[in-house]
Amino acid sequence: MNCQDFWNTMPELARHGEYSGHLRECTACAALWERQRSLMAGLRAVAAESGHWQASAAVEARLLAEFRSHAGMASGPRFTGPALVWGTLAGWAAAAAVLIALAMFLVSGRQPQLARRSAPAAAEWAAAQTSPDFVLTGDSPYDDGFIPLPNTEGISPTEEVNLVRVEVPRSAMIELGFAVSAERASEPVEAEVALGADGLARAVRFLNE
Amino acid sequence: MTFGTETDDELLALMRSGHEQGFVALYRRRQGAIYRFALQMSGSPAVAEDITQEVFLTLIRDGCGFDPQRGTLSGYLFGIARKLVLRHLERGRSDVALDAEGESSAWPELAVNDDPLADLTHREGVAALRRAVSALPRRYREVVVLCDLEEVDYADAARILGCPIGTVRSRLHRARALLLEKLHQERNFRPAMGAWKPLRCLT
Repeated sequence: MNCQDFWNTMPELARHGEYSGHLRECTACAALWERQRSLMAGLRAVAAESGHWQASAAVEARLLAEFRSHAGMASGPRFTGPALVWGTLAGWAAAAAVLIALAMFLVSGRQPQLARRSAPAAAEWAAAQTSPDFVLTGDSPYDDGFIPLPNTEGISPTEEVNLVRVEVPRSAMIELGFAVSAERASEPVEAEVALGADGLARAVRFLNE
Repeated sequence: MTFGTETDDELLALMRSGHEQGFVALYRRRQGAIYRFALQMSGSPAVAEDITQEVFLTLIRDGCGFDPQRGTLSGYLFGIARKLVLRHLERGRSDVALDAEGESSAWPELAVNDDPLADLTHREGVAALRRAVSALPRRYREVVVLCDLEEVDYADAARILGCPIGTVRSRLHRARALLLEKLHQERNFRPAMGAWKPLRCLT
């Protein structure tokens, strides 16, 4: 059995507590196997801790009412679900919020920006960097204003990048080498954070420095 | 009449014949796993409740298209839940879950121990691992939640996910590697980014 074969069958081996002779022959797989065992113990702890999570009794009551209605065991209006009602209300509220936000943008003369960059656009963005490997480890901001975060991996040209716009305290800019006066440290500042395909933040640019 | 030894299929048959206690027994047996799956995938208790409700409503209303020849009832319910979760995630693609207020203080003292795996079974380790699972890309998160947290077998997981069993294995392998990577990254990354706690998400 080679390494590939071992890892292809590993989940079953792990589940049944069996071990393979391959681990005695391959120290790399043995080390990784030990890490996986620790991880599995952790996942079992997560499962045990959340094992009691369940839907509220109200859900059961609503379903029971629907079951009775459906089975003709009780009369009364068919269940439409409070969630549906709240969902409709929430939908209208969200639509109203979007309209208000749009109006504020128009009144203030600002153009709304896309909050999420599509994968092709992100690939272009990454490919436009000077290095084909696009390793965000430089010291100076890039042309588009993105600054690599410390202790993060670079973004490969083919990696899907998501942009998330957040509001952070201005003091966060100090971490990235910006000078921030004490009186403005607590002010909020808008920033766009580039998230890698693994969901971790890789780079940031400030929108209203 | 109490239920305990009946199979899911027997309870479903009772339910279909209008037996209320059959439905209640089936619901109580399966709702927890469906709720937890929806919660781990959506990150929202309200959404998880809605999805749990919708899954069992489908069972009640349609008499459902469940075919015992094609898999277990549990797998069928997970399959409905997954479709609803995906629909929810598609609707809110730009939604990003941010850490709860004050959660940074709950992070373990990561610098104390260089090995993030050493304390995974302790309270802080479990919390860190739970966050790492939540941060996995969807395709890896769902296989971890199903196979590692809910102990769905690989054949059922393959049916739920609509992919070959080999894909389940490879995704699980990759997901676990990603989890290990995330735990190490967060350990090194989090203290340096202490000030990077967003006030609010604008997207």
